[in-house]
Amino acid sequence: MRKVWAVIRREFVERVRSKWFLVSTILGPLFMIGVTVLPGLLMTRAGGVNDIALVDQGSGPFAARLQSQLEGSGRFRVTVIPASTGRLAALKDSLTRAVRLETLDGFLTISAATVDSGLAEYEGRNVSSLRDMAVLENLLRQTIVTERLTRLGVDPALVQGAQRGISLETVRITKHGATGQSGTVTFFLGYGVGIVLYMIILIYGINVMRSVLEEKQTRIIEVLVSSLRPFQLMLGKVVGVGGVGLFQFVIWGLTGWLVVHFRVQVLGAFHVPAAQVSAITMPAISASLLVVVAAYFLLGYLLYSAMFAVVGASVTADSEAQQAQQPVMMLLVFSLIVSFAALNDPGGRMAVVTSLIPFSSPIIMPVRVATSDVPAAQLALSLAISAATSLLVVWLSARVYRVGILMYGKRPSLKELWRWTRQS
Amino acid sequence: MTSTSVIALSGVAKRFAGHVAVADLSLSVPRGAVYGLLGPNGAGKTTTIRMIMNITMPDEGTIELFGDRRGGRHHSARIGYLPEERGLYRKMRVRDMLVFLAEAKGVGRARGAAKADEWLRRLDLADWGLRKVEELSKGMQQKVQFIGTMLHEPELVILDEPFAGLDPINQQVLKDIVVHLARGGTTIVFSTHQMDVAEKICDHVCIIARGRKVLDGGLAEVKQVHGGTHVAVAFEDGAAGAQAMTAVTDLVAAADDSGVYAELRLKDGVDPQLVLERLMGTGARIRRFERIEPSLNRIFLDKAGPDGAAAAEVAHA
Repeated sequence: MRKVWAVIRREFVERVRSKWFLVSTILGPLFMIGVTVLPGLLMTRAGGVNDIALVDQGSGPFAARLQSQLEGSGRFRVTVIPASTGRLAALKDSLTRAVRLETLDGFLTISAATVDSGLAEYEGRNVSSLRDMAVLENLLRQTIVTERLTRLGVDPALVQGAQRGISLETVRITKHGATGQSGTVTFFLGYGVGIVLYMIILIYGINVMRSVLEEKQTRIIEVLVSSLRPFQLMLGKVVGVGGVGLFQFVIWGLTGWLVVHFRVQVLGAFHVPAAQVSAITMPAISASLLVVVAAYFLLGYLLYSAMFAVVGASVTADSEAQQAQQPVMMLLVFSLIVSFAALNDPGGRMAVVTSLIPFSSPIIMPVRVATSDVPAAQLALSLAISAATSLLVVWLSARVYRVGILMYGKRPSLKELWRWTRQS
Repeated sequence: MTSTSVIALSGVAKRFAGHVAVADLSLSVPRGAVYGLLGPNGAGKTTTIRMIMNITMPDEGTIELFGDRRGGRHHSARIGYLPEERGLYRKMRVRDMLVFLAEAKGVGRARGAAKADEWLRRLDLADWGLRKVEELSKGMQQKVQFIGTMLHEPELVILDEPFAGLDPINQQVLKDIVVHLARGGTTIVFSTHQMDVAEKICDHVCIIARGRKVLDGGLAEVKQVHGGTHVAVAFEDGAAGAQAMTAVTDLVAAADDSGVYAELRLKDGVDPQLVLERLMGTGARIRRFERIEPSLNRIFLDKAGPDGAAAAEVAHA
């Protein structure tokens, strides 16, 4: 047991000491802060007033009304340029040049027919700014509709009133009643749980593979195998690397909690007003969700790292490992893709079935738990299947590992791998 | 014999897909011996060592270590092993890695660290303990690997081709370590195909070829039994010497005649005394007449060379 402990400590200490760990640990929370801060920053971005020209081919008072609507939004500064059909092309040329010289952001071309046909054209540098374009299109639509209705004799004030903002609020209902948590927040919570589990299982699974391969390539494995049983070595490796994953998880979790808890101060550092920060809804992360995520992280990591260990033990070169890891990666990627479907319909048949299959359950089940109420029986069944499969796979992997680590040369076929499991 | 032997193989065989790596190998390494496992490339030396170390299992036969059959891993704390293929954790610090290797042998951390420092000092590597392995030169890495083998003060050290790829300076360093350990009572087994090295430091040898044992035993005994009888003769006068040599041609199997000096391998059962009498009988003046030992290299070539190996196979058939 002391020997296993030595292996665990080596795997843990060497990894935590590496640059890789430092970089990924720091980038993780930065990423989290980014996710929290960016939406706030984007919403309050003060700059970004667009200088645009409104090329008017005889639309009459509509141009003036559109100008005032656009300027009223605070995002556009508008110069109206009347244009006769004859010199339209020349005018567009010079405006295009102005846009290229960045003295102008773009120009909107309307004509007398715009109100009837609803057709207008915008050319500019900022067409890829979805927000600006959405505002522009929305204002154009409002102004055209108002204009059409006014022409039909409807009171403009009435039209204005009818166009007041509409928005659909969504609230998640669970067995315990309404949670007060919006659909969007629930979606992102589930999304985050799925992505984080996928990433951490993948990253640390591949770490185990690399570690096995390194010992094989440097041939230090012979010294180790003459001192420890292969199973002790694999056990130490899996536990040590998994410990690093858990450690990083805890660092991130703590940082995340601190950022959320002190979000007013954190965002204040980015000059985001406190009132706006408190308007951001935070997902409620229950203790039971954390337990489920932790349990499936352990089971999933155990299952996948054992399979990655087999990959590492059955190849000799890095390039072979790249290829041989594909089938295992596919299982994980498949689980992640299915998790998106599970997000949309966490109680659907697809989600239920894949949350019972041991290779996808480590990602799908936590996503389901984060986004819906999973019947306790299903959760228990999934955990039982997952635990049993993990143990079986670990046992088989250890048997393949034991033979594979001392084999060099040709990559074994699946049939040979199977034979290794039965070798005494 | 068994009671004093550290390693005892009996009837060991190992086959790999389609070819026999080791066949019916029996040998015994006495406690305190410096034991050379000699043979050409592909003779089965590494396979034998791996079976002793419990890395692979023999298909047939039994292996006893320290008088019991539980296998090398069970006794790993008492054994130091240097594999043929060298390798270390490249990214680890030298000292950390040595401590880990000691721990893998069941040595406590503090003791492992103290031993590591002691050895690093002894091999002039004290300044390199905190460097990463990959920063060391190849020669230094070799030394670090030897340290890893000896760190836990094993009673038995098994070295697979320890001199391969070493420069003369490190060869000397390693030879000194081996001699030092042997004086301290450590049993040492090493494989090599460099006969001159083996001849200098071994007291027991086992020559294997094509997976089969050709001969084994104490070095002196081997030379005596398997080397045949060799004599060196020097004459005062070359012409008289040549004349005298004709009187003994029926007694000599092979001669390396350089005029005034000749080395003769006598035919089986010929008494050197008879040769001397005949030579003196010719009246030639003899300056020197001496029984000499054949070199291990000579025996190796005779026994494990193409002819010798064929003969060995016939003998076993």
